[in-house]
Amino acid sequence: MGKEFCALFKKDCRMLASGKFFQMAIGFLVLYTAYVNLGYIRFMQMPPYHVYLYDPDGTQTEKSPLVHTVSSMEDMNTALLSDANGVGLDASAGEVQVILYKGAEHVDRHRADYALSLLRPSSSPAPEVLGTNTPEQKARKEIACELLFFELAAVGFLGIAALLFKEKGMGVIRVHAVLPLRKGMFLLSKLAVFLLSDLVFAVLLTLLNVGLADGAAVLPAVLLQTALLSFMMALVGLLCALLLKDFRQFTLAYLVIAIFAATPVFLSANTSVKFDWIGWHPFYHVYIGLKNAYFGTAISPIYYAGAAAAIALLFLAVLLSFRREIGKEG
Amino acid sequence: MIEVKNLTFSYRKDKQALHGLNFTVEDGEIFGFLGPNGSGKSTTQKILTGILKGHGGKVSLFGQDISAACSREFFQKIGVLFEFPYLYANLSAVDNLNYFASFYPKEQRRDAGELLEMLEFKTDFLKKPVSSYSKGMRQRVSMARALMSRPRLLFLDEPTSGLDPSGAVLFRTIIEQERKKGTTVFVTTHNMTDADLLCDRVAFIVGGNIAALDTPKNLKEKNSSHRVVIDYLYQGQRETKSIETPELEAGIPFAHDEIISIHSQEPTLEDMFIQYTGRGLS
Repeated sequence: MGKEFCALFKKDCRMLASGKFFQMAIGFLVLYTAYVNLGYIRFMQMPPYHVYLYDPDGTQTEKSPLVHTVSSMEDMNTALLSDANGVGLDASAGEVQVILYKGAEHVDRHRADYALSLLRPSSSPAPEVLGTNTPEQKARKEIACELLFFELAAVGFLGIAALLFKEKGMGVIRVHAVLPLRKGMFLLSKLAVFLLSDLVFAVLLTLLNVGLADGAAVLPAVLLQTALLSFMMALVGLLCALLLKDFRQFTLAYLVIAIFAATPVFLSANTSVKFDWIGWHPFYHVYIGLKNAYFGTAISPIYYAGAAAAIALLFLAVLLSFRREIGKEG
Repeated sequence: MIEVKNLTFSYRKDKQALHGLNFTVEDGEIFGFLGPNGSGKSTTQKILTGILKGHGGKVSLFGQDISAACSREFFQKIGVLFEFPYLYANLSAVDNLNYFASFYPKEQRRDAGELLEMLEFKTDFLKKPVSSYSKGMRQRVSMARALMSRPRLLFLDEPTSGLDPSGAVLFRTIIEQERKKGTTVFVTTHNMTDADLLCDRVAFIVGGNIAALDTPKNLKEKNSSHRVVIDYLYQGQRETKSIETPELEAGIPFAHDEIISIHSQEPTLEDMFIQYTGRGLS
């Protein structure tokens, strides 16, 4: 059993290597790391809006260094014209007047409050801060979680389906039907290759983007969640590859699945948008599980039971579809 | 080796593919299964190789019912050549053979290099990926894959497909050699020359029924007109005469200067197939 598994595993690795899958994964890792460290973190540290102050009499003595002073109203208008999200503060008439291009009402209120708060930074009430993460740590964990979820849900899923479509196209699945091996092994070796590759990816992504110490602390929990998501997506990928006729059909299904899996999940988990039905979306729970792992929050045993049941059901469906596939006409 | 009694199979309730087939294949026999597309050849082969389940009737291989026989030991005893050369296109011939061989016990495996040499595979392609091979070369690698486990029962689906005439002769020779070693061969084919030259017995299958089963010789003889056509020269003129075969017993029964050729009017296997099934082999 060990020998046949090794032969299948080695062959799957060779297939993936010849399909440039590993090179692609390394490429994605480099891209994500560059994005996080050179773009995202810097972006998150920037102030949300630029604030421009026209104060010819110098009445605002306590203002924050984030406030840009302009020398005339013409300069203010020019600045706001080129930075439509910026906020202007006119202190020339005594009472400070807020000037801005109109957007959504609640956002405009936020922009105005934020700009005014910069005039008296010391008088702003200090909020009670929950959690131990610094803003940078929080940003790093959030983005690492999102990128890992995307990589597993979209890229890994595509990879395993592409591999099986290749074998389907070459007809070699039928040869395995008459070989002295347990047919389930053919699927298990693929799952193992993808699991291993996803785990390595998760380790590198976490350590490179969350940091060595912080990353190592959350790694066991992250790897457990990665394994669950990796199994689920690999099985969904296999199922699609077995049920759909060709890769063209798959790309359409892939778009639907990727949109269905990713969009509402990211919206509900990372923004104030909340859908009433999101609790019924299986990937929402998987994403929250991964996020909880990054932030060290406890995960319900019910979630693990559900994930295990989903993996068992998916494996059964894949095995049945595989048996159907090998009996198909040549 | 193979015993099939009243074999039935339906893909759907309204689509019955096999309607009660009965035949046996003896140890060391080369048995031909001939039929047009959609006649039930592949379905029968899939049932015999344990790929398709849910058949009716009784199928025994190696003295065991097929449902009980489909174990690892069963698959170790059979070799299957599919109609198309299914191989990993990104791997070389040697890598393909080594990969497929790795599922068999070491003592059962044949050397990949020796097999490919026997199949007259071009040596400079040994390490090149299968994607660069011609159809004939792929067929040779597939044949090597089917033979590499020293199978006791060999299933061959269109074995000479994609081969040039010398390749087809080589394949027939190799199949004969395998039979001499005691291997039983079940050949599924459209190719009447292969069937005629190779098979001890053939079954004509059409519409999921066996229309005839006998040796190729008997099938042809039973339906022979027992006539010969003789081309000869007489007084400088070329002439042709058709006579009953028994008339030859006392020599050529007409005046002639020189016999150019004598052709028996025995029907071909293809003629017999059309006669029994009412259909061609396309």
